[in-house]
This record gives sequence, C-alpha cells and structure tokens, in this order.
Amino acid sequence: MALSLAACGGSAASSDGGSDTIHVLVYGDATNKVEKQLVDTFNKTSKVKAVLDTIPGADYQSKLQTVISGKQAPDLFFNWGGGSIKPYVDAGLLMPLDDFIAKNPDLKSNFLPSVFNTAVVDGKPYGVPMRGTQPVLLFSNKKALQKAGVTAPRTWAELLTTVKTLKAKGVTPIALGGGDKWPTQMWFQYIYDRVAGPELFQKAVDGDKQVWASEDSKKALGMLKELIDAGAFGTNYDSVKFTDGGSPALLATGKAAFELMGSWEYSTLQDAYPDFVKSDLGYGTFPTVEGGKGDPDNLAGNTNNFYSVLKSTEHPEAVAEFLKLMYSDQFVKDQLSIGNLPTTTNTPKFLDGSANPAYSTFQYDLVKKAPAFQLSWDQAFPPAATTTLHQAIQQFFNGQMGTDAFIAAMQNLPAA
Amino acid sequence: MTTATAPAVDSVEKPGARERAKRPGTGVGRPGFAWAAPAAVFFGLFALVPLALVVVLSFTRWNGLGSPEFAGLENWSKLLDDPVMVKSLWLSLLLTVLGVLVQTPISILLGVWAAGHQRNRAVLSAIYFVPLLLSITAVSVLWRAVLDPNFGVPSQAKWLFGDGNLFGVQASALGVLVFVSTWQFTPLHTLLYQGAARAIPQVLYQAAQIDGAGRYRQFFHITLPQLRNTIITSTILMVVGGLTTFDTVLILTQGGPGTDTTNSAYYMYQKAFKSFDFGMASAIALLLVLVASLVSLVMVRLSGYDKMRSTMEGV
Repeated sequence: MALSLAACGGSAASSDGGSDTIHVLVYGDATNKVEKQLVDTFNKTSKVKAVLDTIPGADYQSKLQTVISGKQAPDLFFNWGGGSIKPYVDAGLLMPLDDFIAKNPDLKSNFLPSVFNTAVVDGKPYGVPMRGTQPVLLFSNKKALQKAGVTAPRTWAELLTTVKTLKAKGVTPIALGGGDKWPTQMWFQYIYDRVAGPELFQKAVDGDKQVWASEDSKKALGMLKELIDAGAFGTNYDSVKFTDGGSPALLATGKAAFELMGSWEYSTLQDAYPDFVKSDLGYGTFPTVEGGKGDPDNLAGNTNNFYSVLKSTEHPEAVAEFLKLMYSDQFVKDQLSIGNLPTTTNTPKFLDGSANPAYSTFQYDLVKKAPAFQLSWDQAFPPAATTTLHQAIQQFFNGQMGTDAFIAAMQNLPAA
Repeated sequence: MTTATAPAVDSVEKPGARERAKRPGTGVGRPGFAWAAPAAVFFGLFALVPLALVVVLSFTRWNGLGSPEFAGLENWSKLLDDPVMVKSLWLSLLLTVLGVLVQTPISILLGVWAAGHQRNRAVLSAIYFVPLLLSITAVSVLWRAVLDPNFGVPSQAKWLFGDGNLFGVQASALGVLVFVSTWQFTPLHTLLYQGAARAIPQVLYQAAQIDGAGRYRQFFHITLPQLRNTIITSTILMVVGGLTTFDTVLILTQGGPGTDTTNSAYYMYQKAFKSFDFGMASAIALLLVLVASLVSLVMVRLSGYDKMRSTMEGV
C-alpha cells in the first residue's frame, strides 16, 4: 500500500532526507505567483532553500492526505485551519507553533486575532495566515434593484419583502449555485450565527449533538424555509453552479438581483464582466435578524488560509524565518496587488495600493471589527463529515428533508 | 519458453512423427504456461494484489494517516445498514439497464445502416464517430454547459424543459447521465455492429429475396439472429461500463440532488477521497465487485455465451 501511495504522490514533492531544502506545498491557483516571489525573496538570504510545490485546487485535499504521512511530506503546507488540520493534529503530525511564537511574538501579534484563532486546535496555534481573508458578503446588481424600486435589505424582514417584490417583477431574487452545494451552505452559516450566535455551531463541532434540536436551531431552519418557500432562489438553483460561472452570470446579467458569496466574487466578476463591476455591482453585509443572539457584526466565510508546519521538518529555524515573511511589507503589497486582502496588522498602510481600495477597506474594517468570524461549516467539521453535510443542506433546500430529518442528519455527523 | 518449443523438437525425433505432422495443427504443441506469464504477472500485480489489499482494508479503519487499525466487521455491518449504499446499488443497476435499453437499439440500427453501401455513408459514419474520440470528462463538462438552465438550451426551449431544473430532480438528472453516456458510447457499439453486419454472408439475403422476404423480414429474421453473439458482447461491455459509471456522475451531478444519483462507484469515491474513510470505501468496492461478478455470471449463463454457439450453423 505504501508503495502505491508513494507512486500517487510522485509529482507533489520530492523532499529527500538530509538535503538543505524545505518544501512548501500550496493550493495551485492564481495566488501562486505571489508565493513564488516570496520563495525567491527567502532564497536570496537563506542557506536552506525553499521549494514551492503546487497541487491543482480540486485535488489538493486528497493529495495532501496521501503524501502528508509519508516520506514525501512537505515541511509546511497550505490549509484552511479548523477541521481541515484537526485529523493531522490528532495523528501527531503537526508542530504546535508555541515555541516559534515564544521566540518571535510578532508571529502571533501581527495578525488579526479573529483570523489567527481559526488555526488554533485544542488550545494550541498550528497555523500562520498566509493569503487573504474571504468573508461572505451579500452582492447585488444595483441596476436590477433600481428597476424593481427596492434597496439592499438591512434586516431579515426587509429581505423577505424585497424578495417578494423582485419575484413579482419577474426577477429571480437571489442567484444560488446549488449544484456546488457549498454556496447553499453559506445561508445556513449566517442564519445560524445571526439567530443563535457563534456558540451553537462551536458546540456542535465540539460534539454536543443536542444543540441541533434547540429552539434557536429550529427557528433558524424555519426562517430559511420561509425564505425558500417565498421563491427567493427560484426553482432551478440545483442545476446552477458557481464554479462554472452560472450564478455570477445570473447576477451580472440582472436575471437575479442578489448573490451571497465569498469576497472572491469581486475578482470573478471583474474577470468576466468588468463593465458590470465598474457601474452596477453592490456589496454589503448579511441582513440583521431582530431578536437574534448573534452580533450583527459577525462574519462567516474563510477567515484566511494558513501555513502549518510538520513535526518531521529538519529545518525548523528556516521554517520560522520563512513564516516571518507572512507579515512583511512585500507580502502585503503583493497580495493586495492581485486582489487578496491580507489580515496582518500592517495591512491598512497599503490599502491605497490595492486593486480596489474602497472594496478592500470595506472588507478590512469588517474583519477587524467582527467579534466572531465563523469558519465555513465544511471546513470547521473534519473531512469525514463534508459529504453528509452537503447532502443534507441540499436536501433541506429542495424539500426532501424536513426540519426534523435535517436535525437528525446533523446529529449523525462525525464530531471533530 | 522452453516448454513451448519442446514438443516441436520431439515430433521431429520420434518415429511416426511425419505422419502426425501431416495433419494440420497436430505438430504444434499446446502453448505452455510461459506464454501466459507476462500477462499473468501484470494481472497479478495490478489486479489481484490490489484486490487482496482491498479485502484487508475493508476490515480496517484507516483515514490515510498512520497505519490501518483492525476494525473487524464494523465497516460491513455499517454498510449493510446504510440506506445510501442500498440506494446506490439500485441506482447503479438502473443506470446500467437504462444504458443497455437505450444504446442497444440505436447502435444496432446505426451499425446495420453503416454496414451498407449507400452514398455518403462513409462520410456520415466518420462524423458520427467523433464523440468516441473525445474524452468523457470533456464531454461531460460540455453537456453541463449546454444544459445550463439560464443560459443553455433549456432556457430557449421552455416548452420541453420547463424551468430547466434538469440536475435538481432525480428523474431528469438520471436522464442526463444516460443521455450523455449514450452520446459518447453509442459510436463504439455501432462500430461493433457494423463489423458484425458486414460479416453476415450475402447469400442469406439473396436466398431470402428469392423467397420474397422484404427489408423488415430480412432484418428481423436474418440480421438480428446473425448479430446474436455481437449483441451479447456489446451488452456485456455496456453492463461493465454501466456498473462502474463514474466520470459522468462526478462532473455532471456529483451524486446529487442529495444522494439521488449517487451510484456505488461514486459513493466509493466519496468515502475514500472526500471523507477519507478508506476502510468503508474498500468494503463498497468489494461489494461492487461481487455484484458485478454476479451480474456477469447470470448474463453468461442466460445467454449461452459460455458455449458460444456459432451463428454460421447450416450456412
């Protein structure tokens, strides 16, 4: 078995014991050019050289799992914090960063706390933020809103009225890429946080199954059901995907008025519909819920991505030096220039140089003042739960699962 | 190698060998096991050894980290109680049966047509074989875009597709899977039937014509019976392909809505590479092997394929 797994991971990394290199494994996408520059910067002064290995996005998690416990394991690697690294912590593969931080407190204090805490597992820090933050925002097509004579809703009640007005005018109120399942999940994340506060979900991840059957949980599901039944998402959302450009196209063409999506929606639309972004793209926070326990400033989404370090690394000093770059001026400037929003404390100094200063400042302020930042549910739970979670979410939306069945499904998820 | 050549040497040395050598075929020894060795080694290394490992894994708990832990019958008992597993087996069978029922008639008709001597036949056949040259992954991505409810064909043909929620309803999602597989694989089976139809002796048709049989009677009483063995071959290929359908599910429906198109092969993938439950995934794989073996055994028995009766008897 070891033989076949080693063969599978051939191209990922080729770290051989005793060499003077550290291998950095990252998710392959457009941000790699910044990571390449950082590695070059590091290699100019360091005796131990860093090597950047990339794995194409869709395969990242599967491939990481197969190489991480073998000889080809990287020295440090990209992840989403939370449940995505919990199995590796449990298997004793990761190095707690306490020692690094004791020697160099900047490694913790130079990052926004709500973000840094995402990679704290069992009370110990295991990750350093290494890309941009991605809060989920409510995007809108200003022209479509204007035509229907409505404005972006600030409260849940307003959202329901707005949905009804838009529907009467023949516009799909909210674009949803239900085929991908995780966009649907974003609605659960926010409504649960607004109604019950972040504690409910945290308890659920920690293994308290009763919280799913609580009054707050039922109230959140009831509100969601009301929104679905009002026709907020149209009828064919399960045939639409975000990943193939379907749902952003609905928003940009004005066939739909809103879309709840991660902050990357901006760059996605910028690529495909630059004119729309310039004149008609609106963005704001998720509506507040009257009487809800969650702070209206709370956010949900991907807080950031993180570098975690393997215990087996032969060059911990070099790794610690490399991690210092994650709050350097160069890092912040380079990330901003490609539209990512770093979560370091020195970020505001450079916001004017970002691709879109107004949008970056808006997001940075949101993240900075957010009392809690809910990590995406499918990243907070361990990978073993993902499939069941996604299926239940889809089945609740399309009516195959009622409230009780959904609660039962959540209670059967494997805890972290 | 030596075992294979030995009988030939013997036959020269022994008295009476000349007489035997005169009869065709008798001078050549039965091929020894050595001839099968390369294939056997390959099969052993890449099929039997992994299969054995999968059997072992199915009795363990393993998420790919560290070493597998022995779990006894845990995976198996969970699997037999798992409604999604049972559903996935039915869906696999349903997709297979639908695939055979849709593809076979189309392939036979096209194959028989392509075996003829009409004008333009070669050109049209060549165009028709194009889907076979495309990768199934590319084909699936293409059809997903074509069937987009807001910007694809369904938005322009509401009388046929309604609100276009093809991937959100079980019946239509299954329909799309069967359709895309048909679009991709019918050319292969057409090719089989074309070859088989060409091999039917013309004398049969000439005799039928003299007896006054028309085109339809010729088709049903000569062509179809003569294609019998090809129908069996083609069906077995379809069944094997159908039971292990994976790429189209992965790209077109991801098993959804809910678990409504999660067939066993995709469920196995989900357990292994999404949930990292390799023990459970191995158990599903074995169950799939068992079901597929059972199905092919039944097919071979029922069709009389094991006896391979010739269609040339009496010709």
